[in-house]
Order: sequence, then C-alpha cells, then structure tokens
Amino acid sequence: MHPREGWQADGTPPRPGLSRRGFLRQSAAAGMLLGGAGSIGSLLAACGSGSSGGSGTPTSNGIPLPRPNHPVTWPLFKDNQTIKSGLLPEKGATLKIYNWVAYVNQKCLDDFGKKYNCKVELTTFNTMTEAVTKLASGQANFDVFMGVTVDVLGRLIEQKTIKPLNHSYIPNISQAWTDFTNPFYDQHWQYTVPYTIYTTGIAWRKDHVPENPYTMANPWAMPWQAKYKGKVAILDDYREAISLGLMKNGIYDLNTTEQTQITKAQQALQELVHLTNVHIDNNDYTEVPSGQIWIHHAWSGDMAAAAAYMPKGVPVDVVGYWFPPDGKGPVGNDTNTVLRTAQNPVLAHLFLNYLEDLPNVLTNISFNGYMQPINGITEQRLVGDGILPKSLVSTVVLPSYFRRGVSELQLPIATDQLWQQAWQSVSHGV
Amino acid sequence: MTTTAATPVQPGAGTVGGQAARSPLLRLRRNPWGHPWFLEGFTWLYLLWSIVPIALAVLFSFNNGKSQSVWQGFSWRWYFSDPVNSVLHDPQLRLAVIQTLRLSTYTTLIAIPLGVAFALGINRWRGYTSSTFNFVMILSFVIPELIFGVAMFFLFTDLFKSVGLGTLAETLGLVTWNVSWPAIIVQARLVTIGRQYEEAAADLGATQPQIMRRVMMPLLAPAIFASAVLVFSSVIDDFVIVDLLNNSVSNTPMSVYIYSQQHGGNGGPALNALGTIMLVMSFVIAIAGYFGYRFMTRGERIGTQQALATIAGA
Amino acid sequence: MFWAALAAPGIIWLILLFIVPFYVVLAIAAGQLNQLFGTPIAAWNPLDWSSANLVGVWHNIVGSGAFVGPIIIRTLYYTAAASVISLLIGYPAAYFVARFAGRRKALFLVLLIAPFWISYMMRMLAWIDLLQTNGYVNKVLTFLHLVSHPVNWLGGQSYTVILGLVYGYIPYLILVLYAGLDRIDGALLEAGRDLGLGRVRTFLRVTLPLSRQPILTGMLITVLPMLGDYFTNQLLSGTPGTAMIGNVIDGDLSTQAFEGQGAVLSMLLLLALVVPMIYYVVATNRSSREAV
Repeated sequence: MHPREGWQADGTPPRPGLSRRGFLRQSAAAGMLLGGAGSIGSLLAACGSGSSGGSGTPTSNGIPLPRPNHPVTWPLFKDNQTIKSGLLPEKGATLKIYNWVAYVNQKCLDDFGKKYNCKVELTTFNTMTEAVTKLASGQANFDVFMGVTVDVLGRLIEQKTIKPLNHSYIPNISQAWTDFTNPFYDQHWQYTVPYTIYTTGIAWRKDHVPENPYTMANPWAMPWQAKYKGKVAILDDYREAISLGLMKNGIYDLNTTEQTQITKAQQALQELVHLTNVHIDNNDYTEVPSGQIWIHHAWSGDMAAAAAYMPKGVPVDVVGYWFPPDGKGPVGNDTNTVLRTAQNPVLAHLFLNYLEDLPNVLTNISFNGYMQPINGITEQRLVGDGILPKSLVSTVVLPSYFRRGVSELQLPIATDQLWQQAWQSVSHGV
Repeated sequence: MTTTAATPVQPGAGTVGGQAARSPLLRLRRNPWGHPWFLEGFTWLYLLWSIVPIALAVLFSFNNGKSQSVWQGFSWRWYFSDPVNSVLHDPQLRLAVIQTLRLSTYTTLIAIPLGVAFALGINRWRGYTSSTFNFVMILSFVIPELIFGVAMFFLFTDLFKSVGLGTLAETLGLVTWNVSWPAIIVQARLVTIGRQYEEAAADLGATQPQIMRRVMMPLLAPAIFASAVLVFSSVIDDFVIVDLLNNSVSNTPMSVYIYSQQHGGNGGPALNALGTIMLVMSFVIAIAGYFGYRFMTRGERIGTQQALATIAGA
Repeated sequence: MFWAALAAPGIIWLILLFIVPFYVVLAIAAGQLNQLFGTPIAAWNPLDWSSANLVGVWHNIVGSGAFVGPIIIRTLYYTAAASVISLLIGYPAAYFVARFAGRRKALFLVLLIAPFWISYMMRMLAWIDLLQTNGYVNKVLTFLHLVSHPVNWLGGQSYTVILGLVYGYIPYLILVLYAGLDRIDGALLEAGRDLGLGRVRTFLRVTLPLSRQPILTGMLITVLPMLGDYFTNQLLSGTPGTAMIGNVIDGDLSTQAFEGQGAVLSMLLLLALVVPMIYYVVATNRSSREAV
C-alpha cells in the first residue's frame, strides 16, 4: 500500500481498516441528507464497477479527487450512456459550441461546417465559474463544451452534465501525446479529449517596465509595485488568482486545504488591490500588446498570440512572458467534452475529432496561441511556421513541465468554498 | 425694486445669436428679464457634452480600420463589406441584431394588450383588490432592474425550470418589466377623457363590447400607440434583465453582446457598428412614433413639444 | 364583472411573474447548499428556512475582514455624488428649455431627449473610446496643456465611474425635470414679475418650490436604478476598488456556491429601498388623481 493511500482529503491521517461498508455508510450519510438525485447510485457505481475511488484516492463526500499519483476512472451511469457507434452525422444541424472568448479559430469552425455540411454556432463565456453556473441553470442545449479545466470535471461528471465519449468517432486521438490518452484526471479518456496545454506566468511590457523577472528574487511578487498603479492586472479566475497569492508567499501547494494559507493568499491579493488598483480580467491577450496594462498575470497561449494584437509600428518583442525556468509554476491543460443535452452528439464527437488533427491544430494555434498536445507540435514547428515569435518561446510548454510543475486540480467541496470566499473578498464581484 | 441677476453673463456664451455686442452687465441692470445667455450657453455646453461622444462613436463605426481613435477612411466594412467581421457576415453579430428585434416585437405584442386591458379594468373596477394591484403595477415600474432581474433569474432556474433561461424567459421578464408603460399611460388618458363619451353611448343603447370597440378604443388609440413606441424602444435598450436571463449566443441581444465582448477584451469598431444600428432602430421607432402620434391626435390641440414629451414617456 | 375580467390577465400575470418571483428569491436566500455539488437548494416551506446565507452575508458586511460594508458605503457615495451632479447639470438645462427656449423649443427638446433613445451601452462605449490613454480626451487635455501627461481614466478611478453614472442616467432626470418645469403655469411667474421680483427671486420663490415634486420624482428614478448598477463600473474601471453593491450581487449569481448570498443581498437592497419606492407610488397616484 502506498504511504499516501488512505489519507483524508483534509490532511487527517489514514484511518486503518476503513472498510467498504464504513466508507459507504459515511459518504451515504453525507450525500443522502442533501443529495442530488442519484447520488446513492453514483456512490455505489463508484465503489463498484472499475473505479479506484474505494480505498486509496482522496474523496470529497464520495466524489474522487484526481491527483497525478491517484488517477481516477470516472463511473459510467445508466442514465448517461454514450451514443451508439456507426451513426451518421446529423443533417441540416446547427452545432452549438460553448467556449471561452477568443479560444478557437473561427476558421476552424467554418471549415468544419463546410466539411460536414452543418452550421456552427459559438457562444462564449469569460470565466469557468460562470460557464458551470450557466450550464447548471438548464435549457442551454449546447453540443460541445470546450476548454473545460480539469478541476471541474468531477462536478460535471457526477451531475451528469457531460456525456461519456464513444471512441469510435475520434480516431485522431492517435495523434495526441500518449500522456494525454490516459490522463490521471480521466483514465481511459472516458469523458474528455485533451484540448490545450499552457502555463500561467507573468507577462510584461519591456519598454515600460525596466525590471526583469528572470533576475528578481521573488518574480511572483512583480505585480506588487505601487509605481505601476493602474497598469497591473491579474486573471479573473479564482484558482489562478489565489494561487498567485500563494506562490508570492512561497507556498506551492495549489490545492491547499489549509485556511491559514488561503487567508495569506487573500491578504496578499487585497494588498495588491490597494497598492495598484489592480484590474481583474482575462484580457491579457489584448491589453498587454495595446499597452493598456504593463504587468499582467497571464496564460502562455494568450501571450503567444500577442503578435496579432500589437498596434501598428510596435514590434512584438516588447512583450515578455515569464515562467519559472525551474518549471515550478502552474501548468495545466484544458479538455473538450460533449454535453449530455447535446442535440447533435455525432457531430459533436466529429468536432472533437477534428480538433485533434494536426493541420487543424496548427490553424487553431495560429489564432489562439495555445499549444496542443498533438504529435508534431513542437517549438521548432511553431517558430518555423511563423506562428510563434522567437521572443516568446518562453510560452512553450514542455512535457517535462507536467512532472515538475504544480497543477490546480479538483478541490473538495468545502475547500472549494473557502477558495471562492477568499476570492470574493478580493474581487468584490468584479 | 429691480435686482441684478446673481450669475454673470458670459459674453460669448452659446453658438446662437450675436446680441452680446453691448456691454452685458449694463444690459442686465436695465432689463432683468432679458434673455438668459448664461443658461443658454450652459445648455449648449451640456448638449455638446451629451451628443458629441455618441457622434464620434457613430463616426468610428465607419472607420476603415481597427482603431477607434485614428481615422483611416470611410468604409462600410463593419456593417456589411467585411466578409468575416461585419455585422452581416459574423454570425454572432447578426444573431444579436435579430434577437433584439425579436424580443422587441414579442414584448410589444404581449405587453400592450395586457397593459391596456389591465388599465381599463383597474380604472373602472373600484375596490381594494384593484387598487392593490394598481399599486403593484406602479411598483413594478420603480423597482431597480437588478432586483427584478435577480428575481426573474431565480424564478426560471429554480421554480419554472421547464422554462429555464433563454428567449422565452427573456420575453416573459421583459413583458413584466414593461407592462407598466401601457398600464400607466392608458390610465392617465382614461382619467383625462372621463366617462362622458361612454355614458353618452350607453344612453344611446350601446352594449359594453360595442362601447369598448367603437368609443373607447379610438379615443385611447394615441395613448396605446405611444406606449407601444415606448415599450419597443425600451426593449431595444434593455440590458440588465437580458444579461441575467440569456444563456446562448442565439438569445443574446445587441446590448448584452456589446457588453460581454467589451468586457472580454474583444472591443472594436464592429461593436460601434452594432451600437449605431441600435441607435438607428430607436430613432426610426421614435420618429415613426412621433409622426404617428401627431397623426392620431390631429383633432386635438397637442403641440410638438407635448407630442415629443409623450413619446419619451414624460 | 366585465371590468374585472379585463383586468384579470394582467393581475394573474403580475402575481405569477412579479410577486411569486420574490418568494422564490426568499426561498433561495433562506435555503441551503447541496453539500455534494455545491449548488443552491430552495427552501419552499418556511419551516425549512435556514439562516446560513443570511449569516454569511452579515459576516461579509460587518464581520472581521468584511468587504461588503465598505462597498455599500461606496455605492451610497457614488450614487449621491452622481445624482447631485446630475441635478446640478440637468436642472439648468431643463429649466432653460422649458421656460426660455421660445421659438426654438422643439429643436432644443429634440436634442435634449435624443440621448433617451440612445442605448446605455452605446453611451458607455462612446466614452470608453474617448477615455483610452491615447484617446481624444487625453489628446485634447495635453494639447491644451491642462495635464502634463495622459491621464489613466480607465485605470480604476472613482471619478470616472461617477461621471459615467452621471452621463448614463442624466437623460431620465432631465426628462422628468423638463416635464415638471414645463407644467408650471406661466401665469404664476408673470405674477411674480408683476409684483416686482427679479429673475433670481422669482426662481427662488416661485419656480423652485413648484419644482420640488419633479425634483423628488426625478431623483428617485435616477437614484433607484443607480443603486443596482454594475455594468458602468465593469466597463469604465474593472477593478475591485470601485465595485458597487450591484457587482457583488451579479458576481454572486455567477457562482453556484454564492447564489444564496446573492439572493440575500438582493432582498436586503429591496428592503432598504421599500420606503422610497412606496413614496414614489403614492406620489404618482396622488398626482394622477390631482390631474383630473
């Protein structure tokens, strides 16, 4: 038995001999009291068919928490089955996609529509929190949910918001890096296909900000400078922002359940608000190139695409992107999924397949800047094809980052609320 | 016992008239009831401040380039010539225009009959019930839109779950929000008309439905028309309710689309184009409303200013 | 009864879509959180009501490290400042057009109420364009040497938000003021003139008291929506330092775990405004009866 097996999610030591019955009884009690429909069924399924949620994986009231050393195979539910194989794509349909702002190339959507003779309708959202809430409010009828971060997968699967995939429609998965065909957060890729890989770092304007984060003692503290008041921004994402506060304080467990650490991060961010009137938005991809913001907590892909947003006459090498050279920073990947309420599930699967094909991936990257874990996507290819400027190769994501880096993963519900509360008292709803 | 005005006159005030040639102070002392140049100048300044930014925004929607401050030549590209990003060709922009029109039409078609019937019924039906609901109706006019929008949001996501968010929810919310316009305006008109025509018709042997159709409706037509104009333009500009009740690009009207794109960093002249379209729509409705209202009230002595004020809801 | 039947659809509509929704908000506000998924559960039966959300919100308002309390104060401050400025700008303009415009009254009126038909979003968009660091406002200011270097208008400044609120809501105020001032009987002003009052005295002793009702009504329909505003701050600032209570409520609604708190805040805001709202309804009823 692995030494870490049996540890509770909140850090209390393992209880020896936690029998299956005991586990069931305790999670059943928690789940049944206020449970959503089918929670008992899901718990039983989780403990029964082929899930490792039984003894070793940390859980939150029965929902397993995937970790790199504790991979999770999600349960499959009777009332949320995959579609049959061999079906033809829907005719005269409108494929409805729900995705982040500026996260997929319209050209890819148009080409897909031409190839499969359908219309494609894109609805965008600004934050993952908002997207999950809107989906839960019902009646959305999207087919594809793109850019899903791995920390919300547990919730989406247990609430039966996303549909398990039928692999026969997605042969292009063979082009993906092998690490991502059996990821720890979704073993046997039952519900997701990988979309993008990215790091989170700090973008800055070299022509306005003389400091160089590569030579700073604590580069994560770069935004905390009062002289840049009004010119600093952080990402509008509660995980990313609180993580920034944690790392500024030297804490690298980005899934911490410790209230004291979360409070420290919150206070650091509140100090940032007072010092710099910090903006909170996900518009690093336009604001740093346009010079509106000089120091932005940023995602690698957004900055890789900076060349397209530079104003006339301003060269792209004034934009810098810093990620810790030792790889100890947030690294992550997004996924694409099919929704259970999809009206066009076959087209949805085909769309997921379409975005795993190298030529389409290159088209996509040339717009949104985000690398995808597809064979053939390398730094040399991106720079050689002119997609990535040489001055921004720091945005490249290496496979080794996933071993050394830290990731923001699924949190237990109670901890998630602590993080949300901390973020709310910083952002004030903005 | 004359007094001089406390406010000094600015000699060059206003862009109209050139009567400031004589010494203004001297003039003032002689005629405290002369033309108030300061006020006029102030008003012109206000009007400039109010209108010039809009004019610039409209101007830059015709800019042949992505900038919103550097003029690069006149072009229709953001409206229809650009094959990818224009309002005509970009599906998201096009859907936004269609949704605004759709919501305005549906809401007007439902709110007007509902409000007019309500006004008629409440006005003639005395009692505690009717005055209570009249109270509630006026309350729905003055409540902050955010509080109402929040209530609508929870209603459609937690009680009427089969409705959910979307065009139906938006329409229901907008009708409820705007039904007070016809209700209040028609009631005011009823009060002005009085019961004389009804009673005369009844004396001549008309039945209730006949009175309704041949006496009341024609008399109320201008008020109904004015409130329809108001509701239509109010829905074009509405933001909070639709922001909370939309869930997909197919039910996102122009006001929400502009907001979410600007918020998401995707601003640009295409949004200016969308805003200009909204502006033109509202103006067309207002102008049609004004002339329609003047036509309908051609027998009465209603001046230009009063017609304008009525169309605006004053 | 015929008349009751006419009013019935409207009454039923109001019940279902205006009164019932507030009970739903109450049920969510007094509800609990699903511990498995973190989603809100409505408590329909008053016996099941829990004070968890109320306690959470109260804690956020007055507890240690509370952030909603300062936001409420800031909202009141912004709204007060914006409405006073709106009144100071709008009243003279409305007064001029109502009483002194003479033959050009129709022209002035059209220009005055034109913004009424220009959507709020378009008006904000216009100012965002102008207030950029390299936008026209800065260009004009630096050209006139009023500032030494461009001002960061959109960098989270409270004055930008206040001026944005003024610009956005003043048309409604002006319309009400105009209508009220227009209604003042010219004979009363002439009487004042005949009795020897100069213009200022006439204004102070005749016009101003008569415009008390329009001012109050106008202030109400300006202040009430402003208190729920969240988009002006979001567009013109985007920083927590200028957040208003509307931002907190809107943010709560986007996060499943906080929908209950959003419901509580919305109810509290409604409670705080119930007296001004009822005053408006009573005043409207009274004035419509007087108009007969």
